Amino acid sequence: MSAPLVSVEDLHVSFLTEQGSVRAVDGVSFDLEPGKSIGIVGESGSGKSVTAKTLMNLLPSYAQVEGSMKFDGRDLREIARKKEKHFWGVEMTMIFQDPMTSLNPVKRIGEQIAESLRVHMNRSRSEAMTEAGELLEQVGIPEPAKRLRQYPHELSGGLRQRVVIAIALACGPRLLIADEPTTALDVTVQKHILDLLDDLRKERGMSMILITHDLEVVKGRTDEIMVMYGGRTMEEAPTSTLFESDGLHPYTEALNATIPKIDTPSHTRLVPIPGKPPEIIGKIIGCPFVQRCRYSTSECLTEMPSLVEQEEGHFCACHNPVGTPEGVNAREANQNAGYTPAGLDMKEFETFVRADTGGL
Amino acid sequence: MGFIFKRVAQMVAVIIAATFLAFTAMSYLGDPLFNIVGFHASVDCDAVLAGEIEDVSGQGGTDVGDCEVVEAAREKYHLNDPLPIRYGRWVGDVVQGDLGVSFKNSMPVTTIIGNRVPKSIFLMVVAEIFALLIAVPAAIRAAYKANRVFDKSATVSSFGFISLPNFALGVILFYLFVVKWQIFPSRYEDDDFFSRLRSTVLPGMTLALPLAATYFRLLRTDLITTLQEDFVLMAKAKGLSDRWIMFRHVLRPSLFSLVTVFGLSTGGLIGGALVVEQIFVIPGVGRTFVEAVIRDDFPLVLGLVTIISSAFIAINFVVDIFYSVIDPRVSRET
Amino acid sequence: MKLNLITTRRGFRDLSSQDEDSSKIDDKKREKRKIGFGFWVSIVWMILVILAALLAPILPISDPDQTGVGGRLDSPNWDNWFGTDTNGRDMFSRTIWGSRISLTVGFFAIVFGFAVGGPIGIVAGFFKGATDKLLSIIIFILFAFPGLVLALLIISLIGQTLAVVCLTVGIIGVAPIARLARAITISTAEREFVAAARILGSTNRRIMIREILPNVTIPMGALAFLGMALAIVGEGGLAFLGLSVEEGFSWGKMIVLGSASRTLQKAPWVSMFPIGIMFLTVMSLNYAGDRLRDFFDVREMGIGGG
Repeated sequence: MSAPLVSVEDLHVSFLTEQGSVRAVDGVSFDLEPGKSIGIVGESGSGKSVTAKTLMNLLPSYAQVEGSMKFDGRDLREIARKKEKHFWGVEMTMIFQDPMTSLNPVKRIGEQIAESLRVHMNRSRSEAMTEAGELLEQVGIPEPAKRLRQYPHELSGGLRQRVVIAIALACGPRLLIADEPTTALDVTVQKHILDLLDDLRKERGMSMILITHDLEVVKGRTDEIMVMYGGRTMEEAPTSTLFESDGLHPYTEALNATIPKIDTPSHTRLVPIPGKPPEIIGKIIGCPFVQRCRYSTSECLTEMPSLVEQEEGHFCACHNPVGTPEGVNAREANQNAGYTPAGLDMKEFETFVRADTGGL
Repeated sequence: MGFIFKRVAQMVAVIIAATFLAFTAMSYLGDPLFNIVGFHASVDCDAVLAGEIEDVSGQGGTDVGDCEVVEAAREKYHLNDPLPIRYGRWVGDVVQGDLGVSFKNSMPVTTIIGNRVPKSIFLMVVAEIFALLIAVPAAIRAAYKANRVFDKSATVSSFGFISLPNFALGVILFYLFVVKWQIFPSRYEDDDFFSRLRSTVLPGMTLALPLAATYFRLLRTDLITTLQEDFVLMAKAKGLSDRWIMFRHVLRPSLFSLVTVFGLSTGGLIGGALVVEQIFVIPGVGRTFVEAVIRDDFPLVLGLVTIISSAFIAINFVVDIFYSVIDPRVSRET
Repeated sequence: MKLNLITTRRGFRDLSSQDEDSSKIDDKKREKRKIGFGFWVSIVWMILVILAALLAPILPISDPDQTGVGGRLDSPNWDNWFGTDTNGRDMFSRTIWGSRISLTVGFFAIVFGFAVGGPIGIVAGFFKGATDKLLSIIIFILFAFPGLVLALLIISLIGQTLAVVCLTVGIIGVAPIARLARAITISTAEREFVAAARILGSTNRRIMIREILPNVTIPMGALAFLGMALAIVGEGGLAFLGLSVEEGFSWGKMIVLGSASRTLQKAPWVSMFPIGIMFLTVMSLNYAGDRLRDFFDVREMGIGGG
């Protein structure tokens, strides 16, 4: 167990708006070791993108950040404050969801890759171009010399995302953050890109944070998984042990249950998670997931659960995690009462029960 | 190449349309005879010469003798031919470089125009340069720190300049800088380049300030829009400095509205030059045009219309080409 | 009749990027966009000016043509609020009387521009094809050719009456109005409710009047203000060149009279007051038009330079 490359502790990010303070991130903590990858999973609005942007110092001026973020022992907020010129894009880089809009439409591909090399690594124009060509090869783009002179709109979506990856890797970063890198791509292309990211990561010994709303993307790929809900870290665990252990977070369980599997019979209804997403203005009391949780007790309405290490390396923020005695009891109690303490009708979970037994 | 050919053809078509319109208008609505012969041929000279009307006394002082003069003039200037033929003859002359002779003093039109055009062009070029020098840095600064002090004050003042008519601004500047503070000369001097420049500063600024205001507003809006694009975020994630991003990523894609308006504004600039040349007494094309039109100086007006519309269309043409250069997505087939 | 309006009211837009977290914030911030205090101030000023112009004959002000009301070139004082001009005429009353012509030209120019340009634009945008191409070329020529030059030609050839001046400025206004009407028509005509009307059997004429016209009117309202401002400025420019109405006087004429070197030296107010009033009026119109345009979030509008 080496010292973590990235260490985030109790991160809070809010935006000052005319309606008041909007909480985007409300208590995120995780560690990432060098060379390892972590998948951050959450639905829209869970705060995962904002977390990434906070790490990368890409927030607008009306954002307020509290908490600690460290990279290789250095305080990221200090680095931002000091406006270091050769840190961002060199040690840490990020790629975004839509490769079409991530690239400048009026600049050639080669130029966009070479830029980082010229600015950060002091390469001359021609040196940078040569290296850019090599990078294109590394990300699996055929005919790199030709591509260098092309414009983004001349490439397909998959190729464009590869270019974006090439740009990100140009200066040999130790950490790559990928925010929904495959969401805008065709399904067939998605796997290629994810595989590419894995290969590159292993070759370079790079750490990676992979952000997605799709649990399938990270299952079996990343070393760790962190689940976010309502701006909070709900769970963090090594991927291998996450689903085997007791002490699973109800949200994670629900996420897993709602994934349509390739072998479910056709015409099976898609199962949504019952309830509504949480409010993000003002202070929240209790657990943000309580509105949709069938394991909730009255404690969940008033007390925010803290991140507790259930088992070795497995952290969970829940009063009654799945599989624990508290969890089992809570669910039974709700079943008998017919309602959760938050007022959710247990009948809504019927389809869940079927999915439940179908194989978690 | 087909693209260019097509545009040139369009250019020529519009010039022909404009000159033909002017030609026709002047023929029917003006009376070129007045300037040649000196009186309005209110009497139906055709009838007089045909012997149908005997007594023409008491009708504007014309008599048979005068009618003969009129008829001679008509013959000399080919005014009896049908319109299309006269137009055709004129076009033929133009192509050979002959724009006719001014009715007023029989000087060749080309000479007159050649004399005046450089001064007007100098004025307009100076105005455009001033406008860009003011607007572009201001817009960049304003967009970069949007909604803060500089931006807000610049936006408000640009609004003011747009609302102030150019003649009003000209009078104000003239009053302040020539009459009151006596910084600039009151006459147009062009003995050498520097005195010409000095004489052009005020009229140039009069044209430039409202123009700069428009440029500023457009560029600022486009810059702010571009700044919200994802590739700007990506550039920041690459660790590029704000300055680098602004000048090498954001500026170019934001220039489109500006370039379009640049071309179209030439029309307004020409109109503005007319006015400004009056205030600052510059012997340029504008003043000449106004005088010529009032005098019904047919050849001169026509010559000026040709020159002005050609210049105007040529500029728009260049703008089009420039467009396709800065945006590789613009197909050259249009 | 239910109006199917395609203009929207835009909410606050911040400079963060567009992802789900920020879009949620945008939704929260999407408050009602107010038209603003300044808008109403402009309207009030306009009403004042228009009232003064209309009521000029019965207002308790001096006769504008009456010489010797004060001394020659008196500076502003209690008797003559705006001072007097070279002939001793009261500037204040002349400014008010002068507004009558300036405003009339502005008003009629816009009416004419809309009456002619609106239908042209709508027809061009609606029928497209050859009609559109032809009309578009005409519009382009009109639009691109320097307005003042065109006005010069027309007025000097036909005459310098009020009617001609109004008409000329109006003709110049046709092009931008037609262009906007066409743009809006094209985007409206592609909307579903037009297709629906067509399926239900509406004739072209009916569709144009009942579906397209309402959508066109609102952004045009904003353009009306801006256009009137330009028309007033246009008339001012023509007057400055000596090409406005021969009889009577407008703001432009007063300004040119007051801008002779000697007058400026001794009595700058002779030109500065008309300039000031004209400026305030034009600015009010511009501001009101701008606010309207913002309020209804019309994106196709662009007056451009000059």
